[in-house]
Amino acid sequence: MATKHTADIFEILSKGQFINSNSSDERIRKLFAAIEDNFSDLSQYFIEINLKLERGDEYFYFSRPENRTDLERKIESAYKWIDILDFFKAHDNSFGSGYRFTPAEILVKLNVDAMLKSKLVGLRRYTKDERLDVAIQKLIEILCREGFADLENEVTNSYKILASISYLENLIMSIHIPEEINNEIPE
Amino acid sequence: MFTFSSIKELINTLNWSKELLTEMFEKRKSFAYKYEHAVEVIEESRLDALIELEVIRRNGPLLEIDDQFLQFFEQILEVNEEINTATVHENIRILKQHINHYLQENNGNRKYSYLKAVKSVLRKIGMMTLRNIVDLNRNIENTFKTEPTYKIKISKLKGYDQKRQDINVLISQTQQLLDGEEITFFKIAPDEEFSRITNQLRLQLNEAHHNLIETQKQIIDFLNQIKYQSRILEKIRQVKYLKDQFELKERTNFMTVIADCHDLFFSPQRSGRMKLSLDLLQDDQVYPILLKASQKRKSGVKLIRPIAANISAEYLAAETAYEVFLDPEEIKNSFFASGDHLFNFLRHYQYPKEVTFEEMATLYCQLISLYEDEFILRDTYGEYEGLEYAVVYPK
Repeated sequence: MATKHTADIFEILSKGQFINSNSSDERIRKLFAAIEDNFSDLSQYFIEINLKLERGDEYFYFSRPENRTDLERKIESAYKWIDILDFFKAHDNSFGSGYRFTPAEILVKLNVDAMLKSKLVGLRRYTKDERLDVAIQKLIEILCREGFADLENEVTNSYKILASISYLENLIMSIHIPEEINNEIPE
Repeated sequence: MFTFSSIKELINTLNWSKELLTEMFEKRKSFAYKYEHAVEVIEESRLDALIELEVIRRNGPLLEIDDQFLQFFEQILEVNEEINTATVHENIRILKQHINHYLQENNGNRKYSYLKAVKSVLRKIGMMTLRNIVDLNRNIENTFKTEPTYKIKISKLKGYDQKRQDINVLISQTQQLLDGEEITFFKIAPDEEFSRITNQLRLQLNEAHHNLIETQKQIIDFLNQIKYQSRILEKIRQVKYLKDQFELKERTNFMTVIADCHDLFFSPQRSGRMKLSLDLLQDDQVYPILLKASQKRKSGVKLIRPIAANISAEYLAAETAYEVFLDPEEIKNSFFASGDHLFNFLRHYQYPKEVTFEEMATLYCQLISLYEDEFILRDTYGEYEGLEYAVVYPK
């Protein structure tokens, strides 16, 4: 027995995006509440079309029980996200769910932090632009498109990071680095 | 160096310097106050007097309120941020002292004065403990939310935890004092006000104790969050390093993790690869949309039909083909005129072209079928070269 939002939920999640509880969009928050209330029913419903409804910390997403895409593409994608996440964490340690920022702040930081700048340059294959402000804007757009961030305030151009960022954090945490290699990595 | 000779003088001084002191107090945290600024607020002579009386200290071009007055203002206005557990300790010691004196003293008046001292100390202890706890909580909250460097954040929070423990110790010491030691004093002290104060103190200490439990939970929670966050930070840094060294695949379980990950996040199947409904296309409303779509698809390339060469003259020359036509009407008329029967007549007729036997037979049948009404078909049959034919005469 599905809810009346089932179609919308499917629309969003089937594209590989997330539904967050702290989204800026009222509609998405409603969808989150709908999923939470009917979690077992919806899981049952979707498993019949081979989609598993997964629950994260204040966010939901889909996964497919058997493997469809090729490994190569997944690895490329994972590399991209490692780089992007590393950049933003280097900008501010407290970059996480609920964190608010503006592109201008990052731009200012770039002027004083050479390492940050070199990281941004390293991301050029995803930002495809030389100019720093455009590159930052591009990165933020990538975050928004995948459902990790939202434009919170159009006037001040301030963005908010959503709960789904923990998905990336958890992914990275699940990579196990053996002890001896850990020691080889410089501080 | 002047000192205040009376309370009145002190209060008067504070009164006429209130503007300056207000300004300096309000800006005590924002920036260092300059001598020139002060001169604009009050006259220089009065400013010097304040410096003499050590209400304000001068340090080159800068001025600051004397520490004693600063603390006085902060405590009265309940804005101080430093938590001072030493004073509570001191107060307990003083309390014990006063109690001893009270018990030893026989003179009524002096006894009463000791009693008053004890009362005031008890009041103070209760107030200060609660104030300390409020300040502590506020500081913890601020540090967690604003301190940017993780390492410093952790050490500050640990410091606050230590303070919390100190306050706890003091609370238990005071409670012990009230209920355990000095029980003699507290039983025999006569005042109704006194028992009121002790009861209130007991309540305050209880409240303080509960608050501290909350504080402890809060600190632990914050520390855990920070530790988790910094673990993530560390991990990301390490993973990024290995990736840049191209060692990520080989030396970690990265491949296993990615292979096991079946989330749709990694397989961007953008939908939209569906066919149109044929029924829908038959719909009238869809027709203008189809028109629009076809117009859009008009490519800018105009196919130029190559113009053919002129038609040559010989094609234009009319060619006539001649064919001999056997007119059945004409043949019939001749047949009527001949008087012979049909088959014979056709055999001997002068055709304008060469006619084979089959063609003649065909003509024979044609004529019969065309002009059946005008012929008489006899019952007799003739024969010619193995072919039987009916004898036909005109009417």
